[in-house]
Amino acid sequence: MGFKNFEGADEEFNLEQMEAETEAMLRLRFLNSYNAKFERTPGGFVSLDIPVGEDDKPEHYDRVRVVRSFPFTAPDSYISIRTTEEKSKEIGIIKDITKDVTKETRKMLEEQMNLRYFTPVITKINDIKEEYGHAYWDVVTTEGPCKFVIYMNSSSVVSLTDVRLMITDLDGNRFEIPDFTKLSAGELKKLDLFL
Amino acid sequence: MNLNFDLPAEARHAFTPADGEEIRYCSPVDIGDDGKMKHDGYLVVTNRRLFVISGSEVKTELALADITYLKCDPLVNNGILIARTVQEPEERILARFTMKHVSRVAFIAKGALLLRDGVPKQVISREYDKTCPVCGRALRGTKECPKCSHKPSVLWKFFKLCGAYKGRLAIIALLMLGVAAVQLIIPKIQQVFIDDYLKVGRGGMKEIIIYAAILIGVTIFTILLHVLRYWMCISMGTKMSMDLRQMLYHKVQILSLSFIQDRRPGELMNRIVDDTIQVRRFMEEAFAGMFSCIISMISVVVVMLTMDWKLTVMSVVFVPIALGLSISFRKNIHRRFHMQWHRFDKTNSGLQDILAGMRVVKSFGTEEQEAEHFRKLTDDFAKVQERNEVFWASLFPIISFVMGMGVYVVTYFGGVGVLEDRFTVGQLQQFINYTWMLYGPLGWMTFLPRMITQLMTSLERIYDVMDEEPLIRDNEQAVERDIKGEVEFRDVTFGYRSYEPVLEKINLKVKPGEMIGLVGASGTGKSTLINLIMRLYEVDDGKLLIDGVDINDLKIEKYHSQIGVVLQENFLFAGTIYNNLKFAKPDATEEEIIMAAKMANAHDFIVKTPDGYNTYVGEHGYSLSGGERQRLAIARAILNKPRLLILDEATSALDTESEYLIQKALERLTAGCTTFAIAHRLSTLKDADRLVVIDGHHIAEIGTHNELMEQKGIYYGLVTAQLQMQALKGEEPEAVPAGA
Repeated sequence: MGFKNFEGADEEFNLEQMEAETEAMLRLRFLNSYNAKFERTPGGFVSLDIPVGEDDKPEHYDRVRVVRSFPFTAPDSYISIRTTEEKSKEIGIIKDITKDVTKETRKMLEEQMNLRYFTPVITKINDIKEEYGHAYWDVVTTEGPCKFVIYMNSSSVVSLTDVRLMITDLDGNRFEIPDFTKLSAGELKKLDLFL
Repeated sequence: MNLNFDLPAEARHAFTPADGEEIRYCSPVDIGDDGKMKHDGYLVVTNRRLFVISGSEVKTELALADITYLKCDPLVNNGILIARTVQEPEERILARFTMKHVSRVAFIAKGALLLRDGVPKQVISREYDKTCPVCGRALRGTKECPKCSHKPSVLWKFFKLCGAYKGRLAIIALLMLGVAAVQLIIPKIQQVFIDDYLKVGRGGMKEIIIYAAILIGVTIFTILLHVLRYWMCISMGTKMSMDLRQMLYHKVQILSLSFIQDRRPGELMNRIVDDTIQVRRFMEEAFAGMFSCIISMISVVVVMLTMDWKLTVMSVVFVPIALGLSISFRKNIHRRFHMQWHRFDKTNSGLQDILAGMRVVKSFGTEEQEAEHFRKLTDDFAKVQERNEVFWASLFPIISFVMGMGVYVVTYFGGVGVLEDRFTVGQLQQFINYTWMLYGPLGWMTFLPRMITQLMTSLERIYDVMDEEPLIRDNEQAVERDIKGEVEFRDVTFGYRSYEPVLEKINLKVKPGEMIGLVGASGTGKSTLINLIMRLYEVDDGKLLIDGVDINDLKIEKYHSQIGVVLQENFLFAGTIYNNLKFAKPDATEEEIIMAAKMANAHDFIVKTPDGYNTYVGEHGYSLSGGERQRLAIARAILNKPRLLILDEATSALDTESEYLIQKALERLTAGCTTFAIAHRLSTLKDADRLVVIDGHHIAEIGTHNELMEQKGIYYGLVTAQLQMQALKGEEPEAVPAGA
C-alpha cells in the first residue's frame, strides 16, 4: 500500500487549479468605463460585461457584488467588484468611482453600495436613557426616526476620528454621527456619557 | 426567537387566504425600497404562498411551488431576501431589513423551502432575541421578555424558594422586630433621664452612672441583635446561593449538549457564578435592611404620632422631598461615575493592548507614538476623575443638608413648643432622635430599586435555565446492560437543526471488535456520526441499535461508562495525573493505573516528572506536550476497559516519535474493541477493518482500503490528493515501522 505516513490534506483538490487560483489572487485589475460595462438587472442588481477579459476572452457576470475597500475613510475609491458566490472572488477594482466610470454607471454602482451598506446617519438625538447596563436611544436619522438599544460598554460607541462616532446596537445595526460637535448643547449633554 | 409574528389587522386584510391556507411564518421587514426605515412591512409565508406586505398592500406574491431559489443574504448592517422563480429566473430582491431580523428571515427562508417541498417540519430558532419585539426592552439572555410575558412571575418563584428557609426567616423576622423595639427604647430612656433627673436637679453621680450603665447595656444588646441578624442573613444568603448554584450546575449537566453549544461558555459560567452571587448579595445586603428599615420607620412614625401628631406631620412631609432629591442626585452621580468608569476602561484596554503588542511596537520602533497615545488616554481619565472628585466633595455636604431638612423643622417647632411649655426638653430630644431615625435610611433606600432589579435579572436568568427541559433523558423502561459492541445504524437521519440534516438515511452494521475508519471532507458529518454513537444527541429519524437494542433503551450512565474516547484535543482537569486517570474509573488501584499507563506508553514520562503520578496538571500546572496529553487520554480510556472506542483525530499534529508511541498504544487499546476512528491522515487508518466514506450526508463508499482504491471513487481521490501534497513538500514517505 503506497500511502503511508504523509502529511494530510483534508479536501479533494487539484494542485494545478490551486496554484492558478493563488496566482489569480495576486492580480490587480482596474476596471473603468473603457474595459467594463455594468448594467442593471430586472431583479435590482447589476451585471457586468468585460468584452476583452482574461486571455482576450469576453467575461460575463449575471450579478456582481459592489464592495468598498475603505468604507469609512474612502467610500468612493478602490471599489472591489466581486462574484456573488460564497468564496467571492475579485473581478476587478474601480480606482475612483467619481472619475473612472460614466455618471450612469456611477449611479448604478452607488445604488448597489447603498443597498449593501446600511448606516443611517443620526441627525437629531431626542433622548438617551440609561437603564441597568443598557442605553435606550431615541433619534432621528437620515432614514427616518428610530429607537435602538446599545450595551453600556466602550465598544458600542467608537470614535472613527476626533469628531466622528460609530454606534452599534444590540442587534448589530450601525449608526453614524459624522461630527458630534455640530450637535446642539442639549444633545451633546445626552451624548456626554459616551464621549 | 419568534418566527411567527402576529400580523396587524391592516396587513391581515391585505390578502385573502384560500381554503386551508394558514400563516406559518411571519417577520417584520423594516427597510423600504427607498432605503428608509419603516414599521409596517411584513414578510409572510403561508403553507402555499409567500407575501411581502407593506401597510395594507401586497407588494409581492409568490406561490411557494414557483420558487426555485430563496435565500437571505446578509449584507453590511442589513440583509436582503433574494428569490428566483420559474417565471423570473433572474435573482431579485424581495425585501430588505435591519440586523434585528436577518437571522429570523434566514430561518423563515429555510422554512418556506421546506413547505414548498412538502416537508412537514416547522423550523424553530433556538436563538434569543436581543430586544423584546413588543416593548423594545433589552433582553438579558432570556427567551421571553419578563415584563411582557406575564408568566407566574420570577418573584413568586423566589418566594417559593425562600419557603425552604422558613425557620431562618422566622428568626430573622423576630430579630428585626427586636432591633426595632430596642432602637425605639433608647430615645425614651434618654428622655426620662433628661426630664426626671438632669433638669429637675434630682440626679447625682449615682444616677448618671446608672443611666450610663443602662445605655451601655442596651447598646451592647442592640449590637448583639444586629450581629445575630446579619449573621443569620449571611448564612441564609450563602446557603441559598449555594443551593441555587448546585441546582443550576446539575441542570446544566443534564441538559443536552445542544443547549450548552447554543451558548457561549462564559454565559453559562456567569449564570452559575455571578447570578447566584447576586442573589447572595441581595440576601445579605438588601433583604434584611429592607425589612428592618420599613419596620423601624413605621414604628417610629407610630410612636411619634402618639407624642405629637402635628409635629409628626411636619417632619414626615419632608420625607418624599428628601427622597426625590437624593434620587436625582444619585442619577447625576451615577452618570458622572459611569463616565469615569468608561474612561478608566478605555485607559485599561489601551494599556493592555500596547503591553500585549510590545514586541510589535518595539520592532516597528513606534514607542513615541504609543506613548503619546497612552498619555492622551490617561490625561482624559485624570481630567474626568478630578472633576468628579471635586463635584463629589462639594455635593456630599449638600446632600447631608437636604437629608436633615426634617430635623431642622422639628428642632424649630419643637423648640417653640418647649418654650411654650407644651414639651419637655427630654421629649424634644426624643423627638429629634426619632426624626433622625426616619431620615437616616433614606439615602440607603434609594439604592433599593437598583438592587431589586439586579436581583430580578439574575433570578430571571437562573430560572431561564432551570425551566429548560432536557432533550435526552432516560426512558422509563431503560435498562443497564453490559454491551458487547455491536453497533447498527438503521435509516438514521440527524441534523443539529431539524431542517438541516447532516446525516441522511445512514445504514451501517458494525460487528463487535471491528475497527471502522471514517473518511470524508471536513463538515460532512464524521464527528456527527460519532456524537450520535456517544449519545450526545438523539437521532431525528430511524434507529441506532447497540447489540440489537435501541440506544434510547439503555441507561445513559451505564452506557457511557463503557465507551472510551480519545480526541484530538484532550481535556485534562486541573488536578494530578493520578486523579485525571482515575476519572474514568474512580475505584482503580495504583497497580491498574500503572498497567494502563504502561499500555499507553505513558508510564515512563510520568515517572520522569518530579512528582510522578502526583504531578499537578491543568492550568498553572506542569505543562505536558500534546503527545503526552494524548497518551494520558489513552491510558484513561484503557483503564475504563471500554467495549466501544472512539478516536477522533487522535493522532494528528504530533511529532513522529510520539506518533509511533501513540500508534502502538492505540493498537493495544483497540484490540477487541469496536472502534470508530476519524483521521485526516489516511495512513492512521491502515488497521481499519473497513473504511466508511461519508459524503453529501450519505455513506458514499464502504469497504477495505484495497477495495476502495480499486473503485477509484472519493477515497481514491483523497489518497492521491494526499500523495500529491506529499510530493509538493518533497518529503519521502517514511518507512513503515516494523510490526505495523
